[in-house]
Amino acid sequence: MVRKALDGLGERYLLLNQRQFSIMSMTLEIAGGRSMGHLQVNSDSYPLEKFTAVFTRLMDYRFLPELKDQPESSPQRQLCRNLLDTLNRWAEVAPARVVNRAAPMGSNFSKPFQAQLIRRFGFEVPETLITNDPELVKVFRARHQRIIYKSISGVRSIVQTFNDGDMDRLESIRWCPTQFQAFIDGTNVRVHTVGQKVFATAISTDATDYRYAHRQGGNPAELKAVELSDDLAEMCVKLSAGLGLALAGIDLKITKDNRVYCFEVNPSPAFSYYEANTGQPIALAVAGYLAGE
Amino acid sequence: MWLVLCSAQDISGLWAFQGLQLRGLRPIELVTAEMLPYSLKWEHTLGASDPSISVTLLDGRVIKSGAVRGVLNRLTHVPLQHLAGAPDYDYAVQEYTAFFMSWLFALPKPVINRADAQGLCGAWRHISEWVWLAGRAGLPTAHYRQRSTDQIDETVEMRKLHPFGTLTVGVVVVGERVIGPSFSPEILAGCLRLAELSKTALLGIEFAASASENGWTFAGATPMPELRIGGEPLLNALAEELYQSS
Repeated sequence: MVRKALDGLGERYLLLNQRQFSIMSMTLEIAGGRSMGHLQVNSDSYPLEKFTAVFTRLMDYRFLPELKDQPESSPQRQLCRNLLDTLNRWAEVAPARVVNRAAPMGSNFSKPFQAQLIRRFGFEVPETLITNDPELVKVFRARHQRIIYKSISGVRSIVQTFNDGDMDRLESIRWCPTQFQAFIDGTNVRVHTVGQKVFATAISTDATDYRYAHRQGGNPAELKAVELSDDLAEMCVKLSAGLGLALAGIDLKITKDNRVYCFEVNPSPAFSYYEANTGQPIALAVAGYLAGE
Repeated sequence: MWLVLCSAQDISGLWAFQGLQLRGLRPIELVTAEMLPYSLKWEHTLGASDPSISVTLLDGRVIKSGAVRGVLNRLTHVPLQHLAGAPDYDYAVQEYTAFFMSWLFALPKPVINRADAQGLCGAWRHISEWVWLAGRAGLPTAHYRQRSTDQIDETVEMRKLHPFGTLTVGVVVVGERVIGPSFSPEILAGCLRLAELSKTALLGIEFAASASENGWTFAGATPMPELRIGGEPLLNALAEELYQSS
């Protein structure tokens, strides 16, 4: 989608398909606080200094069809690993617009860590308890009535409502502290920020986690483009910028009394899903940002 | 209370704990990485109120963030050997690490070093990023070159700016002070600038002898320096940072 948008804007770009790693090579050089080098694709050589923007959406090389059956020590795997590593190292230091650099994406690895950053930008975050003590969970549930649990890291990140049936296995949290949150009733709003641009999408669902509405036995989520107030839109832009993210997917819940809770900021959002359902021109905004708008 | 968090094998951390205690930072508690996963009770909260952490250790001590006046944090990972072999081991590692990142970040300042998205005791950066930052800080740097055809597997071997065995000397930046061998004012200013750019309050910086104008070239940096090279002056500086900022 971004490529199509770049074509529409008439911008020149180089598309790297990581599955074609065998026809690429790269050299990164750093001296005096500046990066340089070149990227070779077949017989074409591109100076790194000429790239003014980078959009990265690389997958784990170990799962590439070309490599998934090869041993870790195979020359092909090493070649691909080193190419991607060189690309990633360059993206961290390149004097270009990078969507997104790896370091700021790291805050999403720990949801409560990121929530502490989110609070600083004026958003409310749900009351949260992380514990390995079942008794504390019971007290927390009694206080908030309806609570959910979810992973602390980005792994297996599915939100589930804590119900009476879960009481039977509550003892198992003694093995590993677990995250619980007060359930917030309200409208889910996904906000994509692209530089200074803001695209808000309201999601109607009866599932606890709308991304998994079908799995959680609910109806498919309905998505609709909405306008945020100027103040809230500005808060979203400041939050993304403060986290160092040129592109971000911010998960909000807005209550009936207009309180705005922020659950997390996704640094690699699947904006295509929202664009496909609402027609919001997010990919075009990404392309425009890359082009220097 | 003051808190020292480090591994039971971290001689530098244990040495600093003793030295800070002798300098009057009392009460001061030593909590090792190895004991934390066996904690009897964790309670980490956030929401409308400021984030908090309370941990009841296996030996009965209770550490509450509200009572902490300053922290020397040298935790690099969560030792989970006791869970090795469990079906969800990889998941547990991710969860524990994410949890530690959060509760460490919730500790009240001063925390030297504060948890970061790139590391539990400050950002662990690739050598390419360190040399880039060092150059921006005005330190003399070697020309860094990385090729995709290099025969190196960075999952098992770290890249270095200088060949293995090159003699290096190190300094430690603590707040606004550079502790270690005497260097030119330009290099000392560059060290402070590098700590600032990398947002690392306690930063170890290594230099290798070279033919450059200053006679030294940046060789690497770490948020987990060997502290003993700084001797008594380093302990004094650490004690001051932890005491005065609290």
